Amino acid sequence: MVCVRKATMDDLLAMQACNLLCLPENYQMKYYFYHILSWPHLLYVAEDYNGRIVGYVLAKMEEESNECHGHITSLAVLRTHRKLGLATKLMKAAQTAMEQVFGAEYVSLHVRKSNRAAFNLYTETLGYKIHDVEAKYYADGEDAYDMRKQLKGKQSHHHGHHHHHHGGGCCSADARPVEAQPESKSEAKAST
Amino acid sequence: MGASLPSKEANLFKLIVKSYESKQYKKGLKAADAILKKFPDHGETLSMKGLTLNCMDRKSEAYDLVRLGLKNDLKSHVCWHVYGLLYRSDREYREAIKCYRNALRIDPDNIEILRDLSLLQAQMRDLTGFVETRQQLLSLKPNHRMNWIGFAVAHHLNSNCSKAVEILEAYEGTLEDDYPPDNERCEHGEMLLYKISLLEECSSLERALEELHKKESKIVDKLSLKEQEVSLLVKLGRLEEGAELYKALLSINPDNYRYCEGLQRCVGLYSENGLSSSDIDQLDALYKSLGQQYTWSSAVKRIPLDFLQGDKFREAADNYIRPLLKKGVPSLFSDLSPLYDHPGKADILEKLILELENSLRISGGYPGRSEKEPPSTLMWTLFLLAQHYDRRGQYDVALSKIDEAIEHTPTVIDLYSVKSRILKHAGDLAAAATLADEARCMDLADRYINSECVKRMLQADQVVLAEKTALLFTKDGDQHNNLHDMQCMWYELASGESYFRQGDLGRALKKFLAVEKHYADITEDQFDFHSYCLRKMTLRAYVEMLKFQDRLHSHAYFRKAAAGAIRCYIKLFDSPPKSTAEEDDEMSKLPSSQRKKMKQKQKKAEARAKKEAEVRNEESSASGVSKLGKRHVKPVDPDPNGEKLLQVEDPLLEATKYLKLLQKHSPDSLETHLLSFEVNMRKKKILLALQAVKQLLRLDAESADSHRCLVRFFHKVGTMTAPVTDTEKLIWSVLEAERPLISQLREKSLTEANMIFFEKHEDSLMHRAAVAEMLSVLEPNKKLEAVKLIEDSTNNPAPINGALGPVNEWKLKDCIAVHKLLVAVLNDPDAALRWKLRCAQYFPCSTYFEGKCSSAASNSVHAQIAKNPENGGASHSDGGEIADFVESNGKMEAFKDLNILT
Repeated sequence: MVCVRKATMDDLLAMQACNLLCLPENYQMKYYFYHILSWPHLLYVAEDYNGRIVGYVLAKMEEESNECHGHITSLAVLRTHRKLGLATKLMKAAQTAMEQVFGAEYVSLHVRKSNRAAFNLYTETLGYKIHDVEAKYYADGEDAYDMRKQLKGKQSHHHGHHHHHHGGGCCSADARPVEAQPESKSEAKAST
Repeated sequence: MGASLPSKEANLFKLIVKSYESKQYKKGLKAADAILKKFPDHGETLSMKGLTLNCMDRKSEAYDLVRLGLKNDLKSHVCWHVYGLLYRSDREYREAIKCYRNALRIDPDNIEILRDLSLLQAQMRDLTGFVETRQQLLSLKPNHRMNWIGFAVAHHLNSNCSKAVEILEAYEGTLEDDYPPDNERCEHGEMLLYKISLLEECSSLERALEELHKKESKIVDKLSLKEQEVSLLVKLGRLEEGAELYKALLSINPDNYRYCEGLQRCVGLYSENGLSSSDIDQLDALYKSLGQQYTWSSAVKRIPLDFLQGDKFREAADNYIRPLLKKGVPSLFSDLSPLYDHPGKADILEKLILELENSLRISGGYPGRSEKEPPSTLMWTLFLLAQHYDRRGQYDVALSKIDEAIEHTPTVIDLYSVKSRILKHAGDLAAAATLADEARCMDLADRYINSECVKRMLQADQVVLAEKTALLFTKDGDQHNNLHDMQCMWYELASGESYFRQGDLGRALKKFLAVEKHYADITEDQFDFHSYCLRKMTLRAYVEMLKFQDRLHSHAYFRKAAAGAIRCYIKLFDSPPKSTAEEDDEMSKLPSSQRKKMKQKQKKAEARAKKEAEVRNEESSASGVSKLGKRHVKPVDPDPNGEKLLQVEDPLLEATKYLKLLQKHSPDSLETHLLSFEVNMRKKKILLALQAVKQLLRLDAESADSHRCLVRFFHKVGTMTAPVTDTEKLIWSVLEAERPLISQLREKSLTEANMIFFEKHEDSLMHRAAVAEMLSVLEPNKKLEAVKLIEDSTNNPAPINGALGPVNEWKLKDCIAVHKLLVAVLNDPDAALRWKLRCAQYFPCSTYFEGKCSSAASNSVHAQIAKNPENGGASHSDGGEIADFVESNGKMEAFKDLNILT
């Protein structure tokens, strides 16, 4: 029914359009560029049989903290394309890449307290746990759950000789391009 | 820098530079003023002060100071560099490059300036310049990784892949054997993948594969590694290995259609133009085995419907559809819809779904099954059937199916969305908007149905209501809404189109140009990444991004926006807005006391508006600076309704700007050349109009529009006076040489060509209409004949392989176009009325034709749905009247539920 694959440059405009149709938290194109040019492995799309982008996951690595971890910036599936398990497939693909490419120890995300459908997806299907509550996280004053899921842990890199674990590891701290970070807060929402 | 200053001032100068870099502009400004107090003519300080002011939104002062600084110290590379930075901040890249070059003439090895220059060269795609600058940077600082990578990328962009590979290998030669350290494994792996992709690009496939195997352990991104490997294997013809690898990829992600397609190619079962029946059997077997392996994959279940035929297709479709109806998957129809382009499959599907429906009604279960289905299965079956009939243009059946579904389960939102879509297709835009609003009110927290409702409202020309509805999700502090800031282009386009239909060219232009601006901003977005990606080493993605940027303006949204803007300018040229002189003239007809009053009133209003805008600007820039010096808030729009856009001096000149972009980026779109024809005919650019005609004939000589342009062009040329000037004579000679080359006109008069075109396309309504229109152009006395050509058209059943239902060929939008032709061009109101009555039969839901089921007919069902006064005006949706638009939107306040979320 729907093809799930890594996003390419040509998908970004459609991802933005999909985001604007579904979610109240939106981003300018530059923020999408910032993601795909920093972590091209972490963007996935769901493309329907007519070639239309009907869902996406936009994710990143947190580079400032000590523990190397991934973060889901935004997840959306068009309402018309629910009941296909797309959100689950997209999330799993991004999580796998975080773990395999960057050795992420856990993945975090924010979700509106009122968004039961998304909350259930994260807790029941994907195994996230509430880590914290961020008061008034969203522009309209709603609180967010700060949720986390432990990944299987770092894959040791096969390299012939022993490696010690590295804090921060592959997510080496690197200056981001000027103003690529929008001020708006990220959110994840899924329609299941 | 600041060399000519005494030490105290020199230190202050350093402080200015530091403050600029750390965005502490006030501090920098203070330091600059301290120096200038003693040395008022110091060029570099003047320049830096200007640059600092530029960041504080004091643009004109900035330019004055920077220019003055440069004048005082022409030999300073700092002054030139600053001048370049100033231009850069205004996106004047060509000017900026010139300034940097001047700076480098004075200080050729200045790394900072070279780096800045290289960024601009990448941005402007000055690729030879980029290679040179990158080479210079590398020779100055060969111990920087970034300089090696930058030089390699420059060569790659300049189409020299093998050179790029050489450079990367030379760079690798500088590394230790145990490179990389843990914290650089990702970056290094990316570089290796980039190098391998370069080898692939320059067709060194064996070497690429060898390199890939050699470096496998150093490549962290294993998925890309496998994808790269399989691509190489396929290109090398090692298909068995390729097939194995594709299977491995499918076990990682069985939902990736590209892997399925790749596997098919590897086993020799892929073809664009159909497969033999034995191939189909093999492919069927392949997917059956994949289906057993990957039970979760939806791809392996759906793909066989594409290649199976006849009974096998029927069986597979049956097996595919049943569980999805049971589960209630709302996207089932959209998933099946590509099959409607395969001959015969739509009929099979129709029969199949009707059988399911019938069995569910009679026995409560699927045919041949004893167990009962849940009641929702019937509802989803009706839902599917409604969309099926909608697709086939049988709107009455579609509506009865969806109404039955709604009656069955009135709480399912999707049903209302689909009903809204059917009504839209059937021609009742107002009722469609009402339905969409009903759906919206069923779940106010869901933006998707809000968006859908906004779209329907815009289609029904309820712009103000649409904006209010959109506002529920887009309110952004004091700002009106964030749709523009968030680049919500579908909204701006739909809104622009609606304003255009209503004849509000100012607002329409405003929206179209807003979209155009987004594309300019997106082009601009790449700037920061030229250096970022070299550090991050995401080189494959970076090069992809540059290529994407190069074709950005061929994107559909841009095309629509540019075409929309061009149409506005054409309309503006054809009927210019009243000039002030004319307005004065009208006013002079009023008694003088009243005139005076009106003028005073006008003046007061203008002054008030100006003051308000100023106050708001000050407020916003003040708060903008305080916010950590981040992106300053945009000044208030001085022309929110696009009135100033209408005062453009030469609309066709403006149109030409956007036309050029279309010609460059969308040369294969018929619309591009249709617009080019219209613009150039008005500009009396005969040869450019001829070019447009030739392009149209190249793309589609049989299109009705191409025919129109061809006839109109040579008719126009035929009525021109004999050439006098040399230019005219030259144009004449070109035309004389070109005309015989156009096969449609060879040894024929235009009237003959028109009749030949008619005979060729006798059965097509739109072609007949074009012929009729051209007949009236060529022989104005034959209007009655032209009208008869149209009225004699017959609406035949469409020849879909033995269609089961009465599907007629004519499309609603074509019939509307013909009606307008009868009214506006052929000026035959009686014929237009006859046409309207006839089409009201074909399209009973159409408000345009006032069909008996439409909301335009007072006693229809949908009229009652659409009883809100706000929903009026849609019956004129295509007519271009501004009538009752303002009025109908004025009653907004009372509208239900609008403030629930705010």
